[in-house]
Amino acid sequence: MTPSASETSGIRIQQLHKSYGSLEVLTGIDLTLAPGHIYGLLGPNGAGKTTLMSTICNHTFLSSGTILIDGQDPAENAAVLARTCFIHEDQPYNDVFSVAAILKVMPNFYPDWDESLAQRLVSRFRLPVERRARKLSRGQKSAFAIVISLASRAPYTFLDEPYLGLDPTAREIFYEELLSDFGDHPRTIVMSTHLIDEAADLMEEVIVLHEGEIVLQADVDAARSSAFVARGLADEVRAFALDREILSERSLGRILSATIRGEVTPDDERRATATRISLEPVGLQDLIAAIGIHTLTSALTQENR
Amino acid sequence: MNPSMRSMRLYLSNKTYVVGVPIITLAAMVVLSVLIALVTGIVVGLPLPAAVEEGFRNNLMSLTALPGFLISMGALAVNRNFAMALAFGSTRRHFWIGTAWGFLATSLVTAATAVLLLALETLTHGWFVHTHTFDVVAMGSGNYPKTFGMTFVLSALSLFLGALFGTVYRAFGTVSTTVTAFAMGIVLIGLVALGVWQRVRVIAFLADWGLWAVVAIVAALVVAVAAASYSANRLATF
Repeated sequence: MTPSASETSGIRIQQLHKSYGSLEVLTGIDLTLAPGHIYGLLGPNGAGKTTLMSTICNHTFLSSGTILIDGQDPAENAAVLARTCFIHEDQPYNDVFSVAAILKVMPNFYPDWDESLAQRLVSRFRLPVERRARKLSRGQKSAFAIVISLASRAPYTFLDEPYLGLDPTAREIFYEELLSDFGDHPRTIVMSTHLIDEAADLMEEVIVLHEGEIVLQADVDAARSSAFVARGLADEVRAFALDREILSERSLGRILSATIRGEVTPDDERRATATRISLEPVGLQDLIAAIGIHTLTSALTQENR
Repeated sequence: MNPSMRSMRLYLSNKTYVVGVPIITLAAMVVLSVLIALVTGIVVGLPLPAAVEEGFRNNLMSLTALPGFLISMGALAVNRNFAMALAFGSTRRHFWIGTAWGFLATSLVTAATAVLLLALETLTHGWFVHTHTFDVVAMGSGNYPKTFGMTFVLSALSLFLGALFGTVYRAFGTVSTTVTAFAMGIVLIGLVALGVWQRVRVIAFLADWGLWAVVAIVAALVVAVAAASYSANRLATF
């Protein structure tokens, strides 16, 4: 039996650096993932999400820093790595293996493999089990990765863009099955995704990566309340946000929508009412995009100085 | 379950491929030999006369037919199975050990099949037409242990050689794979040069030990190639 979430102590990462030649992909990551939670790993393309998960699971080697899973270094550590499951978004499969052949060997790797869950998911996703895994369509590959990841019951499960190519029905099946299975068998799930708002209800905590750095780690509600959107006439919105940090701006004619860092105070509400500015909660997806744009703009500004 | 056994079972999960195809290849060799004998028989008559039959004892098909497929199988196993095993929580070390056991299982089945086909060939006096596929000089002239030993080490060498190239490709990329192939060619030429230089001793050694000497040399190559593959595997990434 693999340890349950209550018997694991989570993942601790300190000063993790990862470079490919001269390209530094992860630049000093400090991160603690408590066991038994679903984490959303968010950020733009190339932010280092897959590299971070690959390094945790020892699929690639770290350049410096430490990673501990349940207090142990996972590098070539059979007992620790056996508690992980990480199907990459572009996971290669042996050319001659069918879906059925791969599913048949899975109980060898995962003692808590749930065959009935696997069969139910295969049926719900309508996966062609006799087809070779490499011949599956993009959506079918994602569905297959979800089948393996969920049925493995691995205490540390990593999902790399699990939605890629999935139609809305299949995505709904995924949400439903993930929440149901997680409720019965809590474990640590780290999920990278771009469909942030759609997946927001699944995540308990979000980790936002930008250019190899963690720019935000917070629970979903705290993240949402860490900024708000002010919408109104451009001049008035700019005046309203004069002493605030604007993360991003979007204008349509004279109307400006600004994503502003911080919580809405009673004073903000009073000023907004007086100037006919509407204050709205920020969507998680918009917040992440705004952080990305803001970080990029700040970097460019510093570079130009 | 022992962590290595997980990877061995992954390797063996498609038995048609890792066991079936080598057996089919050996059987195809027999069919091909019989067809060649039948064509030859149009001129010299069937069953083949003793003089022609002796020529068939130098048939090298048993040495050349298997390696191509087994090398590609070894390369594929360490590439695609490696990515799968790591995704499923295996270590590099246990993946390599498990896959190596799988290679030995494939070699064992291939060698046992060769011995079985040799027995049938002997029983049917060359498949009823006096042709030779396994009862050949290169396999020990009908000697069962030698046929087994030669097929086993040849299969293992092919699989581990494929594994070496597959692992170097995964660990270091295409340029390094080409450099490895070139370096192995240089080493091979060096060994041949050494053999030519010491030909008197080599000939004496071969005369004393016969085909077992070749089996021993190939077995030593298997160990060397396996060790190199293991070292490269420790550095391979997803």
